[in-house]
Amino acid sequence: MKSVLVKVVVASMAIGMAVFALAGTAGASHVKVEVLGSSQDPGGGPAAVQVRLRSADEGLPVANATVTLYADESFGGVTGRVELGQTLSDQDGVATVRFHPLSAGDHQIRVEYRTSGESQPEAATISITMPGITSQLYQSSAGIQIPGLNVWLLMALVATVWVILLSVALRVVAIAHDGEAAEAPRGRRADASAYQGGATTGR
Amino acid sequence: MEEVRTWRERLERTALAPVTKTSRGYYVWVAFLLAVIGWGAYAYSRQLRDGLIVTGMRDRISWGLYITTFVFFIGISHAGTLISAILRVSHARWRTPITRMAEFITVVALVCGAIFVIIDLGRPDRVLNVIRYGRWQSPIIWDVLAITTYLTASIAYLFLPMIPDLALFRDRLAGRVSGWRIWLYDLLSVRWQGTRAQWRSIGAAITTAMILIIPIAVSVHTVVSWIFAMTLREPWNSTIFGAFFVAGAIFSGVATLIIVMAVLRKVYHLEEYITEKHFVYLGYLLAALALIMMYGNISEYLTTGYKLEEGAEFHFRQLFLEQFAGFYWFYFIGGLVVPGLLILLPWTRNIWGVVLASVLVVAAMWIERYFIVVSGFRVPLMPYEPSTYAPTWVELSVMAAGFALFALLITLFVKVFPIIAIWEVAEDQESVEVAPAARRFAPGATPEPAEGGGR
Repeated sequence: MKSVLVKVVVASMAIGMAVFALAGTAGASHVKVEVLGSSQDPGGGPAAVQVRLRSADEGLPVANATVTLYADESFGGVTGRVELGQTLSDQDGVATVRFHPLSAGDHQIRVEYRTSGESQPEAATISITMPGITSQLYQSSAGIQIPGLNVWLLMALVATVWVILLSVALRVVAIAHDGEAAEAPRGRRADASAYQGGATTGR
Repeated sequence: MEEVRTWRERLERTALAPVTKTSRGYYVWVAFLLAVIGWGAYAYSRQLRDGLIVTGMRDRISWGLYITTFVFFIGISHAGTLISAILRVSHARWRTPITRMAEFITVVALVCGAIFVIIDLGRPDRVLNVIRYGRWQSPIIWDVLAITTYLTASIAYLFLPMIPDLALFRDRLAGRVSGWRIWLYDLLSVRWQGTRAQWRSIGAAITTAMILIIPIAVSVHTVVSWIFAMTLREPWNSTIFGAFFVAGAIFSGVATLIIVMAVLRKVYHLEEYITEKHFVYLGYLLAALALIMMYGNISEYLTTGYKLEEGAEFHFRQLFLEQFAGFYWFYFIGGLVVPGLLILLPWTRNIWGVVLASVLVVAAMWIERYFIVVSGFRVPLMPYEPSTYAPTWVELSVMAAGFALFALLITLFVKVFPIIAIWEVAEDQESVEVAPAARRFAPGATPEPAEGGGR
């Protein structure tokens, strides 16, 4: 009797776990997301990410789904989710989103998709790698380059001013040297003409 | 020649008097200034402890009294450059009794102005980040470069003409003042003996510095204006901001110099050297600059107002009719028109008239910087409700401490260093005596150097 009771309990638990597992699968996404590839122009140009949506059960392409890509980005110490772009999946279930990556390296991309007839979007996370030598890929397209008009001109200007200031300081050093030589014969205290300006000294 | 010798002795006595004699009023004045600075330091300690939330500045209007006062101080620093360098270049002999004051105002104003930039920082411990992470393309870096270069050049330009006077103090005050002062004069007079070679060196150095400092001074306030003009804010979208700021800087600098001159003249009995002529001449300069400022205002606002884009309309309403109307019209009428009239009308063209005009100009120019800064931030960049700004007691206290520091540094300078350029005044007198054509006094009359040789 006791062994029968144990068997019933074990069987009930097994059935319960199976029901629970099946319910979890059903509640999860019924669409599978896979990354077909990512590409990027050299020098921080636009990148493209391709994802394919297929139904989880039959593996059929999911067409005309609204696909939005997001990435977590940091700027000035503030981190937030940035929308990279939005598009519709084609007949093969492929959605291609073009965007300007800000930095090289691994990126976690959040893919939100909403199929026709669904009111709430579903989401999945994919991982892509952006190639690049430096971490900073963004390059401003603003401005025009005038040959010769650059930061070196500014530095040359500032350096010139400071060199002239240095020449003034050297004049002060020369004054001290001349004074040292004059002190020897007549002592430290200057005579009255010392304070009367160049008019009396022939300057 | 006896009169000349007596006159020179009197000049030296007058120049040495502030150093050797100290009145009770001096201590009271210094104690008052220290109290104001102390209160400001307490207010700033609250800001350091609690952050910029204790000020009226927020995210939408993030500059207020501090940046206003910074721009104001940088502006008045142009007093030294204009009065000393430009008048020296143009050989205007009447400048000699007032050059030292002008040069010292420059240095003190630059120091006080630079302090206000640091005070405006929420995290002053990160001030060196502007160098460590600065970009050459940024007007902020240009500003740092320009101000540090100007401060260095101004100190050099203050110091160079003072060397012979420091030697005079070194020799005349030996045994009459404390040892540290003699040590200081000895150090700073760089073994001055007045040899021909030394006069040649100092002449060349002063000439180099005076030519160099004029473009540096112009660049400083131009770059300060670019910090505004290169920011995307409707009221700051101006191509004449640089010239406008430089003219305003010289305007307020001359006015500040006139006020300082009037106070020091009265306190230290410099009436023989700083005469009504100096006030009137500087007053003429002030009136000319007032006309330039009026022209700048009309040119700027008429062209912008004729087109009146959306942001400009908002700005014009707040500036001429609403929030800032009181400030603007006081600035234009009280700070430009009335001072001009006070100087140009013959019955107010005297010391008191010029000083009153200068007080109005200084007040108006501070107010002008205030409404330029705050009204610029108030114009919405997006369709949100316009923000407001009202300074708190912390900002007012710190600003008052800044002005007290300015006054204190000038007060202390006068107690240590020669208040007037003794050798230059004497040289001016010498040239009057040497050149018969320039002799303006009857034989035997007491020479009046401040009146002689003026152009």
